[in-house]
Amino acid sequence: MNEMSSMTPEQLNAGGYSTPDGRPIGSPVMEMKNITLKFGGVTALSNISFNILEGEIRAIIGPNGAGKSSMLNVINGFYHPQEGEVWFQGSPRPSMPPYEIAEQGIARTFQNIALFKGMSTLQNVMTGRQLKMKKNMFWQMLRYGPAIQEEVEHRRKAEEVIDFLEIQHIRHAPVGSLPYGLQKRVELARALAMEPDLLLLDEPMAGMNVEEKEDMSRFILDVNEQYGTTIALIEHDMAVVMDIADRVVVLDYGRMLADGTPGEVQADQAVIDAYLGVSS
Amino acid sequence: MELLYGIFIDPWIQMVSLPDFFVQVLWEGFVSGVLYSLIALGFVLIFKASGVFNFAQGIMVVFAALAMVGIYELGVPGWLSVIIALGIMYALAFSVERFVMRPLVGQDDIILFMATIGLTFILIGGGQAIFGGEPKAMLTSEIGLPSGDYVWEMGGGIVIFQKLDIAATVIAGALIAGLAFFFSYTKIGRALRAVADDHQAAVSVGIGLNQIWVVVWFAAGIVALVTGIMWGAKSDVSFALQIVALKALPVLVLGGFTSIPGAIVGGLIIGIGEKVFEIYWGGLMGGGVESWFAFIIALIFLLFRPQGLFGDKIIERV
Amino acid sequence: MFYREAGQYKTSYAKDLQAFPIKQDKIGMFIWGILAVVVAVIGIPGLGYDFAMKAIIIPTLIFTITALGLNILVGFAGQISLGTGAFMGVGAYACLKLTTFFPDVNILIHFVLSGFVAAVIGMFFGLPSLRIKGFYLVVATLGAQFFLEWAFGRIPWLYNFADSGAIEVPTRTLFGVPITGASADVTWQYFIVLFFLAGMTWIASNLIRGRIGRSWMMIRDMDIAAELIGVRPLWTKLSAFAVSSFYCGVSGALMVFIWLGAAEVESFDINHSFLYLFMVIIGGLGSITGSFMGAAFIWIFPILLKEVGKSFGYNATLMENISLVAIGVMIVIILIKEPHGLARLWQISKQKLRLWPFPH
Repeated sequence: MNEMSSMTPEQLNAGGYSTPDGRPIGSPVMEMKNITLKFGGVTALSNISFNILEGEIRAIIGPNGAGKSSMLNVINGFYHPQEGEVWFQGSPRPSMPPYEIAEQGIARTFQNIALFKGMSTLQNVMTGRQLKMKKNMFWQMLRYGPAIQEEVEHRRKAEEVIDFLEIQHIRHAPVGSLPYGLQKRVELARALAMEPDLLLLDEPMAGMNVEEKEDMSRFILDVNEQYGTTIALIEHDMAVVMDIADRVVVLDYGRMLADGTPGEVQADQAVIDAYLGVSS
Repeated sequence: MELLYGIFIDPWIQMVSLPDFFVQVLWEGFVSGVLYSLIALGFVLIFKASGVFNFAQGIMVVFAALAMVGIYELGVPGWLSVIIALGIMYALAFSVERFVMRPLVGQDDIILFMATIGLTFILIGGGQAIFGGEPKAMLTSEIGLPSGDYVWEMGGGIVIFQKLDIAATVIAGALIAGLAFFFSYTKIGRALRAVADDHQAAVSVGIGLNQIWVVVWFAAGIVALVTGIMWGAKSDVSFALQIVALKALPVLVLGGFTSIPGAIVGGLIIGIGEKVFEIYWGGLMGGGVESWFAFIIALIFLLFRPQGLFGDKIIERV
Repeated sequence: MFYREAGQYKTSYAKDLQAFPIKQDKIGMFIWGILAVVVAVIGIPGLGYDFAMKAIIIPTLIFTITALGLNILVGFAGQISLGTGAFMGVGAYACLKLTTFFPDVNILIHFVLSGFVAAVIGMFFGLPSLRIKGFYLVVATLGAQFFLEWAFGRIPWLYNFADSGAIEVPTRTLFGVPITGASADVTWQYFIVLFFLAGMTWIASNLIRGRIGRSWMMIRDMDIAAELIGVRPLWTKLSAFAVSSFYCGVSGALMVFIWLGAAEVESFDINHSFLYLFMVIIGGLGSITGSFMGAAFIWIFPILLKEVGKSFGYNATLMENISLVAIGVMIVIILIKEPHGLARLWQISKQKLRLWPFPH
C-alpha cells in the first residue's frame, strides 16, 4: 500500500488506499464541482472543487469569513449554489428539501448549538432515530404492541450512543441547563444516533477549553474508526485539525487556497500567508 | 350562471351606474381605513422599539376613550378630561414598563405577546369595573369636534361627507406628521430609532431602554386616545370596539410589522377593500363579511409575500 | 410527594417507558379513579349535587379536553392559535348535523366523528403554518376564528334552520338513559365526560412520548434543525393541527350536547379562545398535568370569587370584572415567575417534598 505522503494529488483524490494508521479510504462520496454561491451581490464561494472520500476525516479550514459555513451548508443542501454541481454517491444531486437530505444519510451538527431546548438529553438523542421509526399514528396513540417494541429498540440504540459518548450521567437532564461542552457532545450524539454515512461537523471544537477539545477529538476519531463514518468538519483551530484530519481544504475569501494532507497544506506558501502566518 | 353574473359582472355595473354611491362607499371605507391605520400605528410604534407585539393596543383604544368620557361625566370640563386621560395613559405606560416589560426583558417574543393578552384582560376588567361596561356617548362638541356634513353633488346624486370624518382624517394626518417630526428631530426620537435598529448597540452607547419603552408605550397611548375619540364619535365607546380593533392585525400583515408607511397604506387598503367587498359582493354571501374579509385577505397575501408590502425578504440562517 | 422511588429499579427499557414507572404513582392513579366514582355518588360535600356537577365538575372536565388539545398545538408543537373557540364550534355544529342525519347512531360515536370533522377543518386552517410562524400565524388563526364564527351565524343549514339561530340539542339516550337534552341524567353525563377525558388524556400522553410527539417538540424548539434531521414540516405541523382540532372538536360537541344543551355563536367567540389559551398558559405549556390544572383554575376561580363576593354583598358584575383583572394579573405573574405554569410549581413542590425533611 502506498504511503499517503508520497502520493500524487490525483492519487490522493481518487481514493482506494489506506491511511498510515490503517483505516481504509474508499471512493468519493461527495464531490464539489466548480461551486459558486452568491447572496445578492456578495460572492460567498467562487469556483470551489474538492471531494470527500468514503471513510476519511476531511477538514475545511480558513480564517473568519472564508466561507466555511457556507461551504458546509452547500454540502448539506441547505444552500443551493448558483453555479457548479454537487455530486453525491456518483451522480449529480438535484436540489431537494432538507429532510430528504437527511434521508440520504447525511447528519450534521451546528456552530451555534441547535439542540431541542425543551427536551432532555435522552429525548434529543432519540430525535436522531426519528427517521428510522415508522409505526403510524394509530399505534403511536395506543403506544402498545409494535409501537412500544419500536420505541424500545430505538431506545437501545440511543443508549448505545449515549454510552459511546460518555453522557450517561446527564441522560435525563434538560439540555438547556447543561454546560457548553456537554451540549456540543449531546449534539454529536444526536447526529450519531442517525447512523449517518456522512457526518458534517460545524466547528465542533469552538469555544471549548483544551481538555474538552481533546475529548472531542478523541470522540471524532473513535466515531470514524468504530463506525467507519465519513466525517467532514469545519474548524478554526489549526492544531486540532492537523492532528485528526486525513485531508484538508483551505478556504480564504471564498476561494480555495490549497487541498491536500495536513503536511502538504502546512507547507503551502499561500496558506501560510493567508492563515498560519497571521493566526496564532 | 346567475351567481357568476353576480360575482363578475353585476358589481361593476353597479359601480358605474351609481357613481355617487360608489364614491360614498369609497369615502366610508377610507375613513374606517384611517382608523385601522391609527391602531396599526400604535402596534408598529411598540413593535419597532421593543419587538413586543402588543395585543392590548385595541383595548387601549377603548380604555383611553372610556377613561376620558368617564372623567367628563364626573363634571370635569372637556379639555381637562382630555388632559387627564393623557395622564392616565402615561401612568399606564409607566406601569406596563415597570411591572410587565422590565421583568420579562429577554424572554421569547411569544411570551411577551402572551403577557400583552394578559394585559388586555386587566384593561377590560379594570375598565369595566371603574367606568362601567355599558356603551357611552363620546364627547364631540365639548372638545371642539365639528358636527354636521358637507353635501357634494355629483353624477346626478349626492355624496355626504361628515365633518367629523374630515376632522378625523385631518387629525390623523397631523398626528402622523407630529410623530414623524418627533422621531426625526428630537433627541429622544433619535434614541428611539437607534433602539429599533439595534437594542444592544443602543444600550452600549448609553440609551436607557426603560425610559424609551415608557416613551413608546405613552406614544402608543396617545395614538390610542386619538383613535378612541374618533371612533367613539362615529359610534359609541364600548368594549365591542376591541374586536373591531383586532383588524389592525391584518393591516400589519399587509404593511409589515415595522413600517409606519406600511401601517397607513395597509389600513387604507383594508378599510376601502372591506367596505367595497361588503357592499358589492357581501350580499351574495348573506352579508356580514366585513368581520373576516381583512383576515382572509391577509392570509392569502401571507402565502405569497410573508414579509409584508414594505418588509425585507427574510434569509434563513443556520 | 410523601413517597420516594428508592429501591425501584428498572430492568428493561419497556418498564422505564411506562406512563407511571413508580409504583406509588400507579396507586395514586387508582385512588384518583376511586375518587372520581365517589364524586359521582355523593357530589362535592357542601354543594348541591346538580350545582356541583353542572356548574363545576362537568364543564371543568370538558375544558380540560380543550386545554389538552390546545396544549398539543401550542405547548408541544409551538404553533400558537387563537381559533380554539371556533374549532370547538366546528365540533358542536358537526355533531348536530350528524345526529340529525343519523339519529339512530349512538351519540357517543357522533362525538368522536365530530372530532374528525374538526380535525379536517383545523388542518385546512393550519396550512398557512407551513409558510408563516409566530405573530403571523396568530393573524391566520384569528382569520379562522372570525370566518367560522361568521359561518355559524350566517348559514342556517348549520343550525337546522332553528328560529332562534341557535343549536337546540335533541334528546339522545345511552342504554335507554337520556344523556342529552332537557331530561338528561347528570350522573351519566358526568361518567361520559369522564370517560372521554380519561381516554383522550391517555392517548395524548402516549402520543407525546413517542415518535410523533417528539417531532412536534422538534419543530417547536428549533424548526430548521428538525428539518435537517429529517422531520417533514408539512406532515408534522398538520398532524399537530389535526390532533389538536380533534380534541377541540370533541370537547365542543360535549360542551354543547352534554353541558349547555343549547348554544349560540357567542359560545364559540374569540373571548372563549382567549380563555382556553389562558388555561394552557396558567397550567403550563407543554404539560398534560398542566392542562388539568389550568382548566380547573380558569373555570373554578371566577366562580369561587363570585361566591365569595356574594357573601360580602358585592354585585356579580363587579366580581366578574375583578376576576378578569385577577386572571390577567395571574397570566403576567406566571409568565414572569414561572413560564412553565402551575404544573412546574407542582413539580417543584413535589421535588421539595421528596427531599423533606432534609432539604440538602
